[in-house]
Amino acid sequence: MIKKIIFYSGFMILVAALSMAQVWKAPDQEKAKERAKERVKFIKDYKDEDNILRKIALIEKGISLDDVKNNYFLLDSPIIKEREDHYGPVRFAHKRHAALINDCTECHHYRPKDESMLETTRCSACHQDSFNADHPERIGLKAAFHQQCTECHQEEQNGPVTCTGCHLKNVPDHKDLVKLADNSDAFQVTAECLRCHDQAGEDMLKTAHWNWRGPSPYTVKHRKDVQHGKGTTALNNY
Amino acid sequence: MNHKASPLNRKFWTPGVFVMLVFMIAGFVSIIARFTGGIGYVSNLSTARPWGLWVGVDVATGVALAAGGFTTAALAHIFGCHSYEPIIRPALLTAMLGYTFVVLGLMVDIGRSWAIWKPIFFWNTNSVLFEVAMCVMIYLHVLYFEFIPIVAEQFKNKVRLPGPLALLNAPIDLFLKIADAVAGKIMWILIILGVVLSCMHQSSLGSLMLVAPTKIHPLWYTPILPLLFLTSAFAVGYPMVVFETTLVTSSFKLNSEMSILTPLTRITTFVLGLYMLLKLGDMFIRGTYVYLLDGTYQTNSFIIEMMFGIIVPWLMLVSKKVRQSRKGVFIAATMIVFGVALNRINVFIVGYTSPVSESGYFPSVGEIFVTLGLIATLMFVYRFVVTFLPVLQAPKEVSS
Amino acid sequence: MQLTRRNFFKFMGATGASVAVLPSSAQAWQSKAPPDPYGCLVDLTRCNGCRKCEDACSTVNELPPPIKDVCDCTVFEKKRRPDENAFTVVNRYFSGKLDELDKPLPVFVKIQCMHCQDPACVSACIVGALTKKENGAVHYDVSKCIGCRYCMVACPFEIPAYEYHDPITPRVRKCTFCFDRISKDGGLPGCATICPVEAITFGKRNTLLELAKKRIKDNPGKYVDHVYGEKEVGGTSWLYVSSLPFSKLNFPQLPEKPSPKLSETIQHSLFSYLWSPILLFGLLGGIMYKSKKKNDNPQDKGGA
Ligand code: SF4
Ligand code: SF4
Ligand code: SF4
Repeated sequence: MIKKIIFYSGFMILVAALSMAQVWKAPDQEKAKERAKERVKFIKDYKDEDNILRKIALIEKGISLDDVKNNYFLLDSPIIKEREDHYGPVRFAHKRHAALINDCTECHHYRPKDESMLETTRCSACHQDSFNADHPERIGLKAAFHQQCTECHQEEQNGPVTCTGCHLKNVPDHKDLVKLADNSDAFQVTAECLRCHDQAGEDMLKTAHWNWRGPSPYTVKHRKDVQHGKGTTALNNY
Repeated sequence: MNHKASPLNRKFWTPGVFVMLVFMIAGFVSIIARFTGGIGYVSNLSTARPWGLWVGVDVATGVALAAGGFTTAALAHIFGCHSYEPIIRPALLTAMLGYTFVVLGLMVDIGRSWAIWKPIFFWNTNSVLFEVAMCVMIYLHVLYFEFIPIVAEQFKNKVRLPGPLALLNAPIDLFLKIADAVAGKIMWILIILGVVLSCMHQSSLGSLMLVAPTKIHPLWYTPILPLLFLTSAFAVGYPMVVFETTLVTSSFKLNSEMSILTPLTRITTFVLGLYMLLKLGDMFIRGTYVYLLDGTYQTNSFIIEMMFGIIVPWLMLVSKKVRQSRKGVFIAATMIVFGVALNRINVFIVGYTSPVSESGYFPSVGEIFVTLGLIATLMFVYRFVVTFLPVLQAPKEVSS
Repeated sequence: MQLTRRNFFKFMGATGASVAVLPSSAQAWQSKAPPDPYGCLVDLTRCNGCRKCEDACSTVNELPPPIKDVCDCTVFEKKRRPDENAFTVVNRYFSGKLDELDKPLPVFVKIQCMHCQDPACVSACIVGALTKKENGAVHYDVSKCIGCRYCMVACPFEIPAYEYHDPITPRVRKCTFCFDRISKDGGLPGCATICPVEAITFGKRNTLLELAKKRIKDNPGKYVDHVYGEKEVGGTSWLYVSSLPFSKLNFPQLPEKPSPKLSETIQHSLFSYLWSPILLFGLLGGIMYKSKKKNDNPQDKGGA
């Protein structure tokens, strides 16, 4: 009982201390996060004009690279998160892409029909949930991102095309996954990791970190000709 | 009406029986393997090839070759040709055992053998297999019922169980008497029912593959497949009786039943001719003869089936000389049996192509052992039954 | 033979009655396809071979995980088929065209059960364990299945797989169209949800069919003019559009006639109300009665 009380009070103090400490956060990152969380009103109707007309319209309205305010966006949205959550958001360098491509219509391919609305509206205004029965031809936000990015990257032979080229994997919280007794020793810890990551363990056995053997002239009491390393004399401790 | 069937009371254990025993053991081991390791463990069946030897031979061919039962019953009892009665009991026994082993084969083949009763309660009347299953199930019981008088004839008033089992003597005897009396009363229904059920499932066995129009080679896939199956069942019925009677009489050294067999083959000539006409006509009307010279194993198998299973034996039977020689009749009958068996194998196995994967199917050793084991067991039981029950006609003169 | 006159006429009466109902049973075959099923449109020009659909499918259906290492392209070296552990697989084909760097351009093909409108497997199943649901899914109920594998024989797409290595309780395994998920409001199939490029579009089949045709029309030269599954075996709930002819992508070439049409027609015209067996029974009974009278023989009792 006493033990428990001591433990919990210690825990409370820790939490309080943590919450009081001011952690520095990057302001633009926070802004991007906030923006990614927004839900905007769905735009049903768009103006179906062809690409050249659209370019002319943009020039006429005087929209240029200077209007690109944000360095980057986080491509993320509650619309996507509701369905699947395997990967972290992608940091999309908007300004850089705009400068490289120098053609807003490449991505901002249509505009809302309502003339009072912004010329280059954001993706998630038109592309929202997938498989909208009222707009079957309209692809969802996730597909819009992927189609736009990968197709262009493939065509231009430039830019990442694999999943982890853009995304960080969402590593699941291991708090409940790892089951270790208090005071576990190194072997128990490794065994626990291998319980799920057996493949990683096998791969490890093939790496130089495990197999390296060779001279170790700088190790005390060893000379050049002494073969050393994990593959020979050093302790392979699991 | 000078026939009187009686038990043979011959020596049971002969070298042939031991050979059978070896096959039975091999089959038994394979069946054990099937029920411990799964169908995939003993067979070459796959997604692309869900039905193989067991369905093609144990079930389809088994049913076809058991057709002797209903064809002879129809002849003797319904059309009243009583001179054929000596062959009815052996034919009935063959049918009964045949169908029993069809069901045993099915039990091995279906994945959930313990669920075999489910079609009784869950009906899908669109399913051809459902109808076949129902018919086979009822028919099997009809056959058992038809067999009761034979058992009763031997054991009525003579039930003598040894030791403490003797207590059961009286009840079993009573049961036999009642069963015999009931069977006798409704025998005419049973006989007609047997023929009707046989016609139904023999033809439907042909409809089975019609649900897969894209998978069966056009040489066999025809809307009249059920009719072809029915006629071929008619056609193979008597040859099968001839085939086995000859085998049995010569193996037991009984006098051959040529006096009966010769008229039987006349009927066969007619039915087989009809079957041949249907098959040839179907081929010409649908124009499938264009495949004949493809030279693939499928078309070759068709040619063999047509030539040696239908046309040649038919020509043989047309000749009176062949019809009257014991050897000639036997050879022709064997060829017809072979032809119909090959037809079933062709429709269910050879003519089947999977739409996507290349599936060069050949039965595995395990599958073959199971099939051979079942056949050997069937022969074993047949021998056992004719030895101890009044099935075959007693020899007029002892010729051993 | 206890064939009395009375018994005999009783049966003949039944026969007559059954012949009378005959005309009503002789209707033409009718499709049992649901009018407005769900479906999926697979656009092979969009699929990039990421195999996320395989992952999602195995997760939602609690199957073993697909072959490891999703980004390792060696899995594409062999053409795979859906099996008892994977309801859907993605295969790679080459179009014969090259990209700017002279690398051959791949076409990826996801395969799974097509959820036919008039499924051969459903017609075949001896116990009705397979059923075509109103929402389009062809659903398997293991509690009825006896394992005869007739569904596998019948399927024109070679889809249902079998747990051949389970000795006692093997199951037929195939894509469920995520029946439980799509039965819920707003529910989606696992594979369609996860597909990053929306190569799989979920929706009402009728809408998808229009959509498919619109895509073909709006992008001249991009697609071959064929919506696979529109007419094949009477139509399937899953549809495909592609830049390559389907015959090059190992899709079976199938007739427009629903597979079960012929067998069901024969079956029903022969056996509805059991008219033909009853008729035959009566007929044989008549013959038997006649022949019995002719050579009335007291001896032919039993004997079978
Ligand atoms: S998830 Fe989509 S893109 Fe990926 S392999 Fe499947 S169908 Fe193709
Ligand atoms: S594809 Fe095969 S398994 Fe799927 S519904 Fe059609 S017939 Fe049945
Ligand atoms: S619909 Fe469901 S079961 Fe079928 S392939 Fe997609 S995820 Fe798998």
